[in-house]
Amino acid sequence: MKHAESQKPESSKPEVTRRGFFAQGMAAVAGASAVAAAMSPLRHLTSGDIPTLEEFFQKHYKEMTAEDKEQVFNRIRTAVGKRYRTEVNLADPPPMDGVEFVYGLNLSRCIGCRKCVHACVAENNQSRAPEIQYIRVLEMEKGSIDVETSDHHYDPPLVPNPDKYYMPVQCHQCADPPCVKVCPVEATWQEPDGITVIDYDWCIGCRYCEAACPYWARRFNFTEPEIPADQLNPNMSYLSNRPRQKGVMEKCTYCLHRTRVGRMPACLEVCPTGSRKFGNVLDPDSEVAYILKHKRVYVLKEEVGTIPRFFYYFDERGSRYAEPIAPADVGGDA
Amino acid sequence: MSQEAQARAVGRTGLSVCISLLIFALILALNPLPFLSPVAEPAAVPAWATDPTPVRHPKLAPEYQAGVFTFRCSDCHKLFPPPAQNTTRTVAQHQEILLKHGINTWCLSCHHPDNRDAFVDDRGDEIPWNQPQLLCSKCHGPVYRDWQHGSHGRTNGYWDKTQGEQTRRKCIECHDPHQPPFPPMRPAPGPNTLRMGPQDVAGHGTTKNPLKTAGRAGSKSPPPGDAERGH
Repeated sequence: MKHAESQKPESSKPEVTRRGFFAQGMAAVAGASAVAAAMSPLRHLTSGDIPTLEEFFQKHYKEMTAEDKEQVFNRIRTAVGKRYRTEVNLADPPPMDGVEFVYGLNLSRCIGCRKCVHACVAENNQSRAPEIQYIRVLEMEKGSIDVETSDHHYDPPLVPNPDKYYMPVQCHQCADPPCVKVCPVEATWQEPDGITVIDYDWCIGCRYCEAACPYWARRFNFTEPEIPADQLNPNMSYLSNRPRQKGVMEKCTYCLHRTRVGRMPACLEVCPTGSRKFGNVLDPDSEVAYILKHKRVYVLKEEVGTIPRFFYYFDERGSRYAEPIAPADVGGDA
Repeated sequence: MSQEAQARAVGRTGLSVCISLLIFALILALNPLPFLSPVAEPAAVPAWATDPTPVRHPKLAPEYQAGVFTFRCSDCHKLFPPPAQNTTRTVAQHQEILLKHGINTWCLSCHHPDNRDAFVDDRGDEIPWNQPQLLCSKCHGPVYRDWQHGSHGRTNGYWDKTQGEQTRRKCIECHDPHQPPFPPMRPAPGPNTLRMGPQDVAGHGTTKNPLKTAGRAGSKSPPPGDAERGH
């Protein structure tokens, strides 16, 4: 008992008081809940979220040899075929010599029906939920080129609204693409035929390119993309429409799996008005060469210096008879 | 500090760690706040939205269907003399045709007066029925020029003609010659992406769309599942 007095102030401290017990208890519950909440996404981990060794050590597309590619393509064919229970035709068409793709879009003729948007989704195996679409159709005020006043949620019973015009926007396949410049891992680059592509297996999902693009043409897979098995397009290529994985960017590739074998892109094929024009600008007899030479052409956001390969053009005034023509113009040249 | 007090302190710490781990395990197992995915059901897309066939399917032949019988135009019209200048239709035939084409107010503006299987050009000569673009070019010069070079009208198939067939559509495959303006149509469903469209977060009846302005959201916020409209 001789040191009882000296012990007293010390021993009073570890004494469990009611207040201390509750405070400690609450802190323990809060801490444990926070840790549990932070770790709860692990609950949803599936085997697909963890790359195999083969996937982990896969090289950049441009560094792969022919054998590497064949091995990787076979792996993708098997994986996609197993997941969607279908025969997968995965190709890798190279860029064609002497070909540079250019798109023309006739603003005088587009009626804003959005068929291109859905044909693109069906062709390019975008996620249906959450929804990813490469083309955005802007409803613009007539006489204005201000995209800030445009609306892409327009939903009237019938289009076109005679007071508006419609401007579909998608990847412009710029000759000086800002998205390529900002990529920290060179997962995206411009091909010799002008198409900017992404190696989905090399992309780290930082979304710098999405921020850099002045046309909002790039999309990010926030979750595992969901495509109904019966809606999968089995004709795919490595650099364009093979199914993407969670956490990577994707974008319009001018349907390179179609266009590099001579076909038209899906958005053009479905356009009911013929507003969309596609071809090789290096061929002087092509439709797009005629448009660039003879029509009035408008480049969206020309001032940002991206040098797009996507051109909007117009027809002469009075060539649309749906529009009222001043009496003096009747019987004129149109 | 005495050995005893130290042991007690260690024991207490150990106990609180055990309790914390127990709570942690309980929370992970019971999952009191399950993850609510903001991803909605896929929007239904009508089949016509991805259908690439043209809006019109004209017969591209000088034929007339009456019940089960198909006649060539000349089968009947060689029996009747051409009407006098600028009369409208008097016979009860062809009542389904509504002519609303600018200054063209009667049939023989385009159809040949003597051979109804052909069209008429500016000098009264015949234009073959399978060359309707030559008839249209009588008035629509700039459009005809653009169509010849491909900047007007539909071109389908292959852009590279060395690799496959290219289809050029004629005027009347998109335009009704009797009412030529391209018909208005229903738009396909609009965007419903995570940060763009009306988004019903896990069926709670709320839309979380930071990009939508308050005015528009308040006035006309479509109900969930509205993207299915358009069937």
